[in-house]
Amino acid sequence: MGEERSLTRRTFMAGTAALGAMAALAGAMPQTLAYADDAKKMAASSSDATEVKHAWCQMCGPAKTACSTLCHIKDGRWVHVEGNPEAGNNYGRGSKTLCAKGNSAMQVLYDPARITYPMKRVGEKGEGKFERTTWDEAYKAIADKLKEQKEKYGPESYGVLSPQAYQVLWTLGRRFLNVHGSPNYMHSAICALQRAASKKICLGSADCDPGQLDKTKLYVIWGANPENSAINQGKPNARLDAIENGTKVIDIRPMLDGLGAHADIWVPIRPGTDGALALAVLNHIITNDLYDHDFTANWCNGFDKLAEHVKPFTAEWASEHTGLPKEQIEEVAHLMGTTKPMGILYGNGIGDQQNDGNWTCIAICLIEAITGNLDIAGGGGAKKTVPKPMFETKKFDILTDRLPKSAEDEEKGYFAGMSKLVAPETPRWYQNPKTWESGPNSAYFKALMSILTEDPYPLRAVLGQASNPFGATRQPKKIAEALKKLDFYFVHDTHWNTSCDYADYVLPAATHYECSQQFGTKNTPAGTFIAINQKIAEPLGESRSDWDFYMGLAQAMGYGDDFWNGDMDACLSEQLDGSGFTLEDLRAANQGIFVARTDGAKAEEPTYQNYEKLFAALPNGKVQCYNEWIGGKPNNTETGELGYLPEYVGPPESLAGTPELAEEYPLIISDVHAYRLCNHSYYVGVPYLRELQPYPWVKINPDTAKKYGIADGDWMKVESPHGWVKLRAEYKEGISPEVLMTRRGWWQDCQELGLPAYGCFDGGSDSTVLYDSTIENFDPFHSAMSKQTLVKISKIEEGK
Amino acid sequence: MGKQYGFYADTSRCIKCWACEVACKQWNGIKAGTIARRKVHEIDSGKFPTPTRTFISMSCMHCAEPACEKVCPAGAISKREEDGIVVVDKNKCIGCHYCFFACPFGVPEYTDAGMDKCDACLGNGVKIDEGEMPHCVATCPTKALHFGPMDELREMQSQKTAKKVVSDSTRPSFLAS
Repeated sequence: MGEERSLTRRTFMAGTAALGAMAALAGAMPQTLAYADDAKKMAASSSDATEVKHAWCQMCGPAKTACSTLCHIKDGRWVHVEGNPEAGNNYGRGSKTLCAKGNSAMQVLYDPARITYPMKRVGEKGEGKFERTTWDEAYKAIADKLKEQKEKYGPESYGVLSPQAYQVLWTLGRRFLNVHGSPNYMHSAICALQRAASKKICLGSADCDPGQLDKTKLYVIWGANPENSAINQGKPNARLDAIENGTKVIDIRPMLDGLGAHADIWVPIRPGTDGALALAVLNHIITNDLYDHDFTANWCNGFDKLAEHVKPFTAEWASEHTGLPKEQIEEVAHLMGTTKPMGILYGNGIGDQQNDGNWTCIAICLIEAITGNLDIAGGGGAKKTVPKPMFETKKFDILTDRLPKSAEDEEKGYFAGMSKLVAPETPRWYQNPKTWESGPNSAYFKALMSILTEDPYPLRAVLGQASNPFGATRQPKKIAEALKKLDFYFVHDTHWNTSCDYADYVLPAATHYECSQQFGTKNTPAGTFIAINQKIAEPLGESRSDWDFYMGLAQAMGYGDDFWNGDMDACLSEQLDGSGFTLEDLRAANQGIFVARTDGAKAEEPTYQNYEKLFAALPNGKVQCYNEWIGGKPNNTETGELGYLPEYVGPPESLAGTPELAEEYPLIISDVHAYRLCNHSYYVGVPYLRELQPYPWVKINPDTAKKYGIADGDWMKVESPHGWVKLRAEYKEGISPEVLMTRRGWWQDCQELGLPAYGCFDGGSDSTVLYDSTIENFDPFHSAMSKQTLVKISKIEEGK
Repeated sequence: MGKQYGFYADTSRCIKCWACEVACKQWNGIKAGTIARRKVHEIDSGKFPTPTRTFISMSCMHCAEPACEKVCPAGAISKREEDGIVVVDKNKCIGCHYCFFACPFGVPEYTDAGMDKCDACLGNGVKIDEGEMPHCVATCPTKALHFGPMDELREMQSQKTAKKVVSDSTRPSFLAS
């Protein structure tokens, strides 16, 4: 028994300082849990007179199959939801857990703000004047337009916005693009794909994130945010288990967040300067001879060149850029160089939201590599092998071979469609079936800008399905200009997102709770789970599912032969063929179907340090300290060549990089990108979630706020060289006095709570207006855009 | 008297995700913007660059000697024999707020129907006698919140650095670490 301290009434009611004194927790010991692991017992838990149906939770985005849920329906109305203990969510079978969003899912289905009918624009773009139309009329108008444009400008004149990972789009949407003949899948450039590409060109198939966290001694979290982006998908729980098991954690993020509060060392880095820190860590490890000599001699390409290259990047140098004390940089570098096994979880914050995200990720990968931590137990990767699934479903065929190969593709040795990409996200030469995600990608923002610049040609028609371009990328002002000039914009969404006012047609989308078309599987050592969404309610009004939308569009285009003649059930049955299950089996399973493992296979330790295999695709079969995969090749805008060695660029506006600008704009701002109470810019209208974040917030250190006469809860004007927003101050000690952190996307109001929507342009509350959007500044390899800038702040007096 | 049940909040595992708060609301039919039977509290101390943040999920403490029960003039509050859960009969509640002033933790809240507070999900059908968990506990993604007989919770807590919830008179059935 440890030391006992008091928690008084005052603490409980006001949350004051008493418990803070107890926060220094002593020895972390293994915990005995009171939960029964017996899944059957857990499954039987639910209340009486209700019907239970299965659904994949939609709260991290439509068409996701991360968390399986049981939906309790009473008198025809969905009233409660819980995690499905059959599925193996979060920490495994028996887990009934969900996050706050998952617990609010019913409120999305019954949201009074849903779109119910097809609408056609009758006013000017942006004016918001629409009238009701029919699906038939809308489909005809869309098909006529797409056919006409295909004839006149070529099929590549059509592009589709890619929201966050979206199963409908990467299956039916890709197939539609391929059959139509366009490569222009407009990928956000804010994605794990960015990080994956950087890792691939540096480490091949090796990984930095530990595959066996229970054996990790030092776990470095770098710009990763799983307590916001994926609470119920295992990582937060596994990290807390590891901490109890003695793993030391370094958390490198501008804000002390929920999991960061449990770290041993918090490194409050200035947003956007992680590349400088990574280079300084490499410098320290190499200069102090802390690297693994065997590994660097045998498995590194150009280690000597890297060693020479990082010489100028000392801790002193990085301190100026990162705002971190030199001693802390050295401490962190020393720990990383001397603690083994060490694994690094690096995230979106640094990989795909910084202008130099590619080199930043590569520099981090190189830290993991040269310290000899790749593919060792508890180090990077080296996951235990998961036995084969008990059954398999068929991969969706996106008909890649239908994408036309142009003469230029042929001549330059590109894969089909590459030369027609309007704005290649990664360089054309890099995109091929071995490296791309589900097909060719144009970058979202750059592709929309083609409408204005007509360089190399303007997109003529764009589809937005479950994506708000005013929240999903940078500078709404420029997006609005592009949408105004765009020939034809059509939207399919559950909600009237800000961009709908600029659309020609807006079509009502059903949620995935109103159709039975999304299935998914989970394979674990215990067995394999499969389930489909059961229909919980009839589609609202005339809304149609994301899947049916594409089926109808394909029919209207005359592509029916390639789209099961509009029969989604046939499409699903084809994927289930050979699995041993029919669509009817799945639709009848109220908790999904779990097939326990009978083959006796177990999770096994992998073959460690399997470098020959992991590095097989890399030049010379080695880790690219000196990068010969990309070095000397054209960048993604074909305006220059990519380098060979990690470069630090930094944000377009920064304290150290642009000191003159910093005199007028003395503070740094960034945003959290993913947050645990919304899905990107969606779900701010959900009452249970909005209640917990009623107003557009900005975290500010109290010392800074007081300097400007800003009290906790005051509204502030926050102005960058690119735009300004109104945000409500929330005091926080866990943020540097020179940094502000906010969250983007406030376009939904909440009728139930009487809370308004906030605009996305200047004077609104969307941080995307603050950032630089100069295409020349974007990452030259994978198009990442900066999410950091400088601002000046002032208090907004009430009523203004 | 059967075993006394209660809650145990492990602050070393709480990340303030709010899942427990929302699960409580949806399972107990509580509208947003009204009351909250459960709240995640945050206690901050220290200053940048070495601040600490501690999160703790709290609700009614189902005291062994509930002050609310003692003062209720309508006999609306009772402590269950079998599990020690303190429950309120809204049909008897007259909304006088005596219980609020008596409770050392300020737990009772009021709606048009009467006093409202945590009943360990008994009211929505959770069978704690069969080992089922209140929904706040079942939904916790990080295993930071526990429920069960106090002796079992004490055993779990003894593995950690204990923090005691003090109230001399009411003996709350709540542990923290």
